[in-house]
Amino acid sequence: MTRKNDISVPEGYFPQLEQRLQAIPTREVKPTVFQRVSPWLAYAASLVVLVVFGNFIFGRAAATEEDNTWDYVSYLSQSLDPDGQIELVETVDLTDDEIRSFLIASNISVEQLALLNYEEDY
Amino acid sequence: MESPEQVFNGIVKEYSERLYWHVRRMVGSHEDADDLLQDIFLKIWTALPSFRGEAQLYTWVWRIATNESLNWLRREKLRAALRFASADDLVVQRIEADPYFNGTAAQRELAKAVARLPEKQRQVFVMRWWDELPYEEISAITGTSVGALKASYHIAQEKLKLNLSESEVSK
Repeated sequence: MTRKNDISVPEGYFPQLEQRLQAIPTREVKPTVFQRVSPWLAYAASLVVLVVFGNFIFGRAAATEEDNTWDYVSYLSQSLDPDGQIELVETVDLTDDEIRSFLIASNISVEQLALLNYEEDY
Repeated sequence: MESPEQVFNGIVKEYSERLYWHVRRMVGSHEDADDLLQDIFLKIWTALPSFRGEAQLYTWVWRIATNESLNWLRREKLRAALRFASADDLVVQRIEADPYFNGTAAQRELAKAVARLPEKQRQVFVMRWWDELPYEEISAITGTSVGALKASYHIAQEKLKLNLSESEVSK
């Protein structure tokens, strides 16, 4: 089977692509949903640190930092519409584990989780 | 000394076409490849001040492109799962509908079978089979050992053979 020539691009695509890409340095970057909510995430993270630190100092049993963080992510994911949820997770580099955790925190169904169909790659 | 804009424009000239073909093979359609390429070059521009020259520019640029492609595929899984669909099926549908696919039926079957591979196997297969990169270069770009890459490529080939013979049988 030949390897190449099975896919093509519209006529004149590459010169036009080059022009568009070279315009990137002059472009204004629009803030994403994540950037818009990141002050709130920072606020939540600092609260988490305070709670965990407070618990450590006063020796009280409480939820772990991870639980608190995911509670907040869960709250955020439920308060956004599906496109907002996607945009939120699109703005950060995610590992498969993080995606799984995010989805579990979002109360995703087992059926949806199964659709992710993770396998060991290497 | 070159300004950051001049360096960036040089990267665009040198790499945009080659990276387009790589990304296109990874995501399956011209439209998605075009969108993702914009994001990749935006990331390159944003990260350019942090490029210290420890890695070769070539390796650094390719690493950003392959990482972004893998992230795109992960997000695609997530997008699909949130809408109760399978990401693999969505990519296969896009290959079917891509007006800029003009290969034979066998080539289309291969592209669809590759789209069903796990992300990293797909990455290694695309880089070896279509981009024709040596294992040593793929290793430098992905940070995976040559041995692991060879094993991964072999597993990918075996899966493709199996999938392609099954699709022949089901015709």
